[in-house]
Amino acid sequence: MNWNLRPILVAIWRSPTGALLVALQVALALAVLVNAAGIVQQRVQKVGRPNGMDTPNQFVVAVSGFTREFDYTAMLATDLAWLRGLPGVVAASVTSAVPLLDSGSSAGIRNAPGLKAGRQANIFEMDEQGLAALGVRLVAGRAFSAEEILPPAQGNQALPQILLTRALARVLFPDGDALGRQVYDPLDRPITVTGIIEHMHGNWVDWDKLDHVAIVPRVPEGPQALYLVRTRAGERDALMRRVEEHMATSDPTRLLLWVRSMSSIERRAYLADRNLAIFLTAVTAALLLVAALGIFGLATYNVAARTRQIGTRRALGARRGDIVRHFLLESSLVTTAGATAGVALALAAGYWLSVTWQLPRPGLLHLSTGVAAVWIIGLLAAWQPARRAAAVPPAVATRTV
Amino acid sequence: MLDMQGISKIYRTDLIETHALRQFSLRVEAGDFVAVTGPSGSGKTTFMNIAGLLEDFDTGRYQLDGTDVSGLSDAVRSRLRNERIGFIFQSFNLIPELDIFDNVDVPLRYRGFSRRDRAERIASALDLVGLRSRMHHLPAQLSGGQQQRAAIARALAGDPGLLLADEPTGNVDSLMARQIMDLLEEINEMGTTIVLVTHDLELARRARRNVHIVDGQVSDFWSLEPPAPGLHAGLVPAMMAPA
Amino acid sequence: MLGYYLRLAMSSLRRSPGLTALMIAAVALGIAVCVTSLTVYQGLSGNPIPWKNDLLHAVTIDNWDPQFPARERHPDQPPTQLAWRDAVALLESDIPVRSVVMFKTAGVLATGTAGARPQRALTRVTSADFFAMFDVPFRFGAGWTAAADQGPEPVIVLASAMNERLFGGANSVGRTLRWNDMEFRVVGVLDEWRPLPKFYDLNNGALQEPEEAYIPWGWGLAAELPSAGSWNCWKPEPLASFRDFVQSECVWLQVWVELADAGARQRMQSLLDTYARDQQRAGRLPRPLNNRLTPVDRWLADNDVVGSDDRVLVGLAFAFLAVCLLNTVGLLLARFQRGAVTTGVRRALGASRRQICLQHLTEAGLVCAAGAALGLALAGLLLWGLRLLYATQDGTRDGIQALAHVAPGSITTALALAVLATLVAGLYPSWRIGRSAPAACLQGRPMGFRHTGRRFVP
Ligand SMILES: Nc1ncnc2c1ncn2[C@@H]1O[C@H](COP(=O)(O)OP(=O)(O)O)[C@@H](O)[C@H]1O
Ligand SMILES: [Mg+2]
Repeated sequence: MNWNLRPILVAIWRSPTGALLVALQVALALAVLVNAAGIVQQRVQKVGRPNGMDTPNQFVVAVSGFTREFDYTAMLATDLAWLRGLPGVVAASVTSAVPLLDSGSSAGIRNAPGLKAGRQANIFEMDEQGLAALGVRLVAGRAFSAEEILPPAQGNQALPQILLTRALARVLFPDGDALGRQVYDPLDRPITVTGIIEHMHGNWVDWDKLDHVAIVPRVPEGPQALYLVRTRAGERDALMRRVEEHMATSDPTRLLLWVRSMSSIERRAYLADRNLAIFLTAVTAALLLVAALGIFGLATYNVAARTRQIGTRRALGARRGDIVRHFLLESSLVTTAGATAGVALALAAGYWLSVTWQLPRPGLLHLSTGVAAVWIIGLLAAWQPARRAAAVPPAVATRTV
Repeated sequence: MLDMQGISKIYRTDLIETHALRQFSLRVEAGDFVAVTGPSGSGKTTFMNIAGLLEDFDTGRYQLDGTDVSGLSDAVRSRLRNERIGFIFQSFNLIPELDIFDNVDVPLRYRGFSRRDRAERIASALDLVGLRSRMHHLPAQLSGGQQQRAAIARALAGDPGLLLADEPTGNVDSLMARQIMDLLEEINEMGTTIVLVTHDLELARRARRNVHIVDGQVSDFWSLEPPAPGLHAGLVPAMMAPA
Repeated sequence: MLGYYLRLAMSSLRRSPGLTALMIAAVALGIAVCVTSLTVYQGLSGNPIPWKNDLLHAVTIDNWDPQFPARERHPDQPPTQLAWRDAVALLESDIPVRSVVMFKTAGVLATGTAGARPQRALTRVTSADFFAMFDVPFRFGAGWTAAADQGPEPVIVLASAMNERLFGGANSVGRTLRWNDMEFRVVGVLDEWRPLPKFYDLNNGALQEPEEAYIPWGWGLAAELPSAGSWNCWKPEPLASFRDFVQSECVWLQVWVELADAGARQRMQSLLDTYARDQQRAGRLPRPLNNRLTPVDRWLADNDVVGSDDRVLVGLAFAFLAVCLLNTVGLLLARFQRGAVTTGVRRALGASRRQICLQHLTEAGLVCAAGAALGLALAGLLLWGLRLLYATQDGTRDGIQALAHVAPGSITTALALAVLATLVAGLYPSWRIGRSAPAACLQGRPMGFRHTGRRFVP
C-alpha cells in the first residue's frame, strides 16, 4: 500500500484555492454544527422535562362572570359539583393558575420572620381536590381537607397551612425535613408546611424557579375562574367536548372563555424552544449538505482535471484501489484541515455565545462527535468522484486530451 | 515596427529556471514579412507572446511602433494589442460557443466601435477570407482550414499594423497550409507587417525574411527574394471557394 | 459594454445548466435562510413608530425595595411600570404635549341583541391622549376628551376586529353595548392597527395584540377594575381592598409622555427628580434617585424585545450564507477556469484585465440576482413553514406568526444580499481570472498555477 502523502500535499500546494475554500466551508459547518448541537440538546431537554402532572389526562376550563346578577360563589359550587359528578372525571379543582400557562402570581416565602429576602415561588390557590386534579405526588404530609379551604379574599390574609414542592422546601430548609416547619408571609404571620410535593411546574417556562411551587388552601378571586379537570385515561377529549357544550349555555350570567387540554397548554409553552430546535436542526443539516456538496465538487473537479494523469498512473501499474485511496486521502486531508480550524472556531464561538448570551458551551462530546460527523460526511462526499477516477481506463494516457 | 534589444525571459519554477529567451534582439520593419523558425522549445512562442504584449520580459528593451512598452499599464497594453496587433494561433482558438460573426466581433467590441462600424468591418474581413456566407456557423461546423481563415479574419478585422501568427499551419493539411500562406502574402501585400512562426521551411522560404531561433537567441538571419507574384496568384480565388 | 457582458454571461450560464443550477441553488438557499431570519428579526427589532421616536418617552421611577433591584436582569433600571400615586401625580404636569396613563383589564362585551354571544374583550383603561399620542388610526368616530376621563363618561372605542364580531363591521358609533355590567356608548372604531412590537405595553409579551376595546381612565378607580396585565409588589403592606392596592407601592401602570423638544425633556426630567426627592423626604422611594424618560427605541432595547435566540438565528443564517457563498466561489472559479482558453483569446485580442474582470463579475452578478429572486421565493416558503411551526391548536395566536410574512424589508434584504453575494462570491474569481496571464490562459493553465508541466498539476 502506498500511503505517500507528499504528491497529494504538493498537488494541494500548487492549487490551494479550491482546497482552501472547501476547508473553510468545513470549518464553518463544524463550528455551527457543534454549537447548534449544544443549543438543540439544551432545548430538547427543556421541552422534554417532566412537569410532575398527569398531562395527557388533564384539561382546563376558563369562565368569567360579567353581569350584575352574577354570583361567583354559587357558580363555583354548581360548576364544581357538576364537573365532579361527570363519569370519567377523577378530580376537579378551582385554581388561581395553571402550570405553564404563562400567567399567575409569584411571591417571596421566608423561612424566618423579619427576614428581608424571601425565596421566590409560584403561588397556586386551589381547593381540596387540587392535588388530585394536578396529578402530582405527595411525598410527605397530607392534602387539604374541604373544611380547610378559605373563601376568596383580597390581598395578604393569614394562611394556616401551605404545600411546597420538594425543590422549594430544599431551598427554604436546606438543613432537612420541611414538613411541620413554619414559613412566614410578608406580614410575618407563620404558615405551617403540611405537605411536600415531589415535583411540579409553575407558571413561566423560562423562569429558573419554575419548580418552586407553593399551594395554598384558598378559593381564588372572581369573577374569572379556572377549573383544572383530571380524567380517567383516554376520556379527556370526549369530556372536553361535553364540558364545553354544557358550560357554554348552562349559566347565562357568565361566559365560557375557553377549554384547553393540558397537552396543548404545555405545547404552547414550549413552542419557541421547540421551534428554535427545529430551525437550528434544519439549517444545520442544510449547511452540512452544502458543505458536502463543496467537498464533492472539489473532488469531482480534481478528478476531471487529472484524467490524463490518472490514466498515466494506471498505465504505470496503479490499481483501482490506489486511485480511490489517493482521492479519498486528498479529500480527507482537506476535511481534516477544515475540521482543525473548525474546532478552534467552534470553541471561540461557543465561548463568545456563552459569555454574551448565556448559551450552553459545546462540550468535548459535541466536539468529537462533530469532528467525526464532518469527517464521515467528507469521505461519503468524495466517494463517488473517487470511484469515477478509478474507472478511468489506462488508455487515456496515450490519447491527447 | 517592432524593435527588441537584448530581451531576456526566464521562467522560474520551484526547482528550475528556464531561460526561454536570452539577449534576444530583433528588428522588424513596417511592411515586412518575417518567418521565424527554430527547434521546439527554442523560445519561438515566448518571443511571439512578448511581441504581442501577452507576456512581460525580464530585461531588455522593446519598442512597438516607436513606443517603449515596458512599464505600460495593462489597460494601455490591452489597447495596443487591440488596435495594433492581430493574433493567429496554431489551434485557431476560435471561441467555440460564438458563431463566426461573433468571433470576428470580439476585438471590435473591445475597441468600442458602433454597431454599424462593427458589422461593416466584420463583413469586409469575412469577404477577404471568403467566409461571408458562413458567418452564422459555429466554428465546429467548419473545416480546419476554414476555421483558420475565420481566425485570420478576426485578427484583421481591427486593421492591425502587425500580424503575429504562431504556427498557423500546424493543424491543417499541406494544401490548406499553402492556401493560408497565400492569404498571408496577400495581406502583407496590402501593407500589414507579418511575423510568422512555422516549422515548414518551404513556407518559411516564401517570406521576405527568415529568422532562426536557437536556444532563445537569433542564430542567424537572411532574407530571400520574394517569390514571383504570378506563381501563386491563381490559388487565392480557389481558396475562397467553400472547402 | 454591459449588454455585451450580459449576453456573454447568459450564453456561458446556458452552456452548463447543471453547474449554473447548482450555483443559483447555493446562493438562493443562503439568501432564503438569511431573508427568513432577518425578516423576523427586523419585525422584532423594528420601531413601530419611528416618526415619533424622539418625542415619545416612557416614564419610570424607581420606587422599589431598598435591598433588591426591580429587574433581576437589569439591576440598574427602575421597574417598567408605575404605582398609582406616582402616575397620577406626574400626570398633572403640563410640560408634555400629551401624556397617557393606562393599564389593561379584562371585560366581556355584549350588544344585547338576541342570539348574539357575549365577547370576551381585553380592554385598555387609558387617558384620552392615547389615540393621538400613538397615532392610532380610526375607521369611524374618534376617541374621547380629557373631560370623559374625569367623569368618567361611559364611552368606548372598539378595535376593528371586535367591531367586526359585534356589529359585522358596520359603523357602530352611537350604538350602546354592555361592558361587563355597565352600559357604554361606542364613540370610535379603530382601523387595522397592530404595532409590532407592542411598544407601549411590553409587559405580557412584546408581540401581543393590542387590546380589543378602550375605555376612559376614570373607570379604573370608579369601577375598581383589576389589572389583567402584570403587576408587581415588593413592600409588605396590607392589600385587603382595591383602595389599598391603589395606595400601595405595587407597580402596574404604563405612563408615556410626548415631549416637544429637548428643553421640554429637560424640564420633565427635573420635574421627575424634584418629585422623587419630595417623596424621599416624605419617607418613600428608598433607592437612589433613578427616574427615566426613555424614547421608544431605547425602551425596546431596555426591555429585551429581541432575545438572544433571535440573534443566534441571525448569526446562524449568516454562517449558512457564508458557507453557501464559499461554495459558489469554488464553483465560479471552476467555471471561469474552464473558460480560460477563451479568456486568453479575448486577452490576446485586446481585452484588458478590467474588461475581463467585469465580464466575469457580470456573470457572477447574474447568478446572484437569480439566486436572490429564487431565494426570496424560498424565503416566502420558509416563512410560511415558520407560521405553521408557530400555529397553536388552542386559538391563541403567536406574535411570530404576524411577523413571518414577506415584507418590503425582506425584499430590500434580498436585494442587498444579492449585491453582497456578488461582491463576496464574484469579486475574487473575477479578479483572479482577470489577473491571470493571457499567455498562460492560452495554454490552459490560468490563475497562476505553480507548475512546470503542460497541463494541470501532475
Ligand atoms: N509558462 C512556462 N513555465 C515554464 N517554462 C516555460 C513556460 N513556457 C515556456 N517555457 C519553457 O520555455 C522554453 C521556450 O518555450 P517556447 O517559447 O514555448 O518554445 P517554442 O515555441 O519554440 O517551442 C521551453 O523550454 C519551455 O519549456
Ligand atoms: Mg511554440
